[in-house]
Amino acid sequence: MTVLVVSNIDLTTKLQVVKPTTFLDSIIKEPTLNINNEYRYLKTGYYVSMHAEILGNRVIPSCENIIDSSRTPIFLLRAAKAGVLTLPVLVTDSVKKITNELGFPVLIFAVNPFIYDGYKIAGNKSALYRAMKSLGMNYKFAVCAQPLRGELSAVKTYFGKTVNQDIDIQKIAEKVYRIFGIPICKLYIQKTVDKAYLCGLQPVDKEELSEQDLKIISKEVSLISEQGEPFGV
Amino acid sequence: MSKIACFVEKYNFTDPREESALQNFKAAAEKQGSEFHFLFREDISEVPRYDAIFIRATTDPLNTAYVVSKTAWELGLKVIDDPESITICGNKIHQYALFEKYNVPRIPTMFLNKDELHHKKISEIFDALGKPVVIKAPYTSFSRYVEKAACETSFRDVARRFFRKSDVLAIQKFTPTAFDWRIGVLNNDVLYVCKYMIPKGKWKHGAKLRGKPTVIWGRTVSLRKREMPSRLREVALKACSVVGKGLYGVDIKEVDGDYVVVEVNDNPSIYAGYEDSSDRDIYRRIINYLSE
Repeated sequence: MTVLVVSNIDLTTKLQVVKPTTFLDSIIKEPTLNINNEYRYLKTGYYVSMHAEILGNRVIPSCENIIDSSRTPIFLLRAAKAGVLTLPVLVTDSVKKITNELGFPVLIFAVNPFIYDGYKIAGNKSALYRAMKSLGMNYKFAVCAQPLRGELSAVKTYFGKTVNQDIDIQKIAEKVYRIFGIPICKLYIQKTVDKAYLCGLQPVDKEELSEQDLKIISKEVSLISEQGEPFGV
Repeated sequence: MSKIACFVEKYNFTDPREESALQNFKAAAEKQGSEFHFLFREDISEVPRYDAIFIRATTDPLNTAYVVSKTAWELGLKVIDDPESITICGNKIHQYALFEKYNVPRIPTMFLNKDELHHKKISEIFDALGKPVVIKAPYTSFSRYVEKAACETSFRDVARRFFRKSDVLAIQKFTPTAFDWRIGVLNNDVLYVCKYMIPKGKWKHGAKLRGKPTVIWGRTVSLRKREMPSRLREVALKACSVVGKGLYGVDIKEVDGDYVVVEVNDNPSIYAGYEDSSDRDIYRRIINYLSE
């Protein structure tokens, strides 16, 4: 089976790789593997998947998964439905509600059209006000809050694989890839003494991709291209 | 009896015509024995307590409204606007690509990628669509982020601004008309018919006065559904069929005796005394759909 690889990253593979802009001007009808360091809505990584879907191609990742994975409350809801451990989530613009229902410390992610990366941790009420002012863009938007119960790690994952040695974290990374199929992303995971909780997903900056990361990505792309997985053929 | 939550933001209550329409929805729901509550941003966690969600706040995949819609959808609730409709209607590139795929009569449209903003491509666009052209950001709503360009300089200026947020833009043939048809559609059936008049000397329903931030809106003329030309109905329903089965407002232009779709909007404006003037049953029908 032929898999069309569309990538904005220079992969170390012998496979033929098409640039996103070339693909967007084409009508190539083949299962499409969309490799991009960021799949932000309205950005090229999103449009590649959209174009593939319009052409009727099976594509990884899908537009639905791109959007849902970048909306933290939806990302966590779908992950939890699929059996990934998550903590209670509040989407609100009310400091009082977060204080009463979650207490401190809390982890805050943005839920607005302008902020797509970063987070804040608030250990008290004044820090929470500051976090909500910043991530809620002067209280104009709601934020996504969850309790912080352990140590928070940002884990780069490629096709569900990570160099992180923690087995619980590796399991979460694998599951998240099975659910959302985002080939390149950064997962935020909280680790307590005995459990790991998924907290969020964000894009990886191109500068964050090391030589070793590129090798892993290239190897996985080659495998998918040879085996046809996970297109199910 | 079902429990319906209407997701709103504070701005939904600033215009008395919209507030009145919202109260009409509430009255329609209560008349048929359903509960109808306004749900604000701070109460999103209460979504699971309801049977249906009716979104009146502005939708976009990046807005809180999408979070509400998708949460409701994942929980198996009936929802207007459903997440797929928001995704397609919130991105005009997606929508026009579907129109092209399914041969929906439409205004001639080309797409422009961010790294194609050069003389050759702009010339190609002017050659194909004529001058001026209409440059549209994919997230346009309420006539915003839609601008005209008649020369390469203004084309570049507008495109650069719109490219800040989206890597692809839609470029359309400039098609001035005295009014746009606005056809309200619910579940593949026409709900109401209006003409959105274009203010004199302008080319959009909502237009800014020169040098001023104020937006002036053209009149809304409501018509009875039975007076609607059959071809207009056919085009409106075909356009909606590629989006979904929700509640839409289809904008259509009449050009050379035929109809071309401008766009399909989810979350269409419903103002008391405007869209509902000729067909007062729109509130009941939308509530019925949510409570089915």
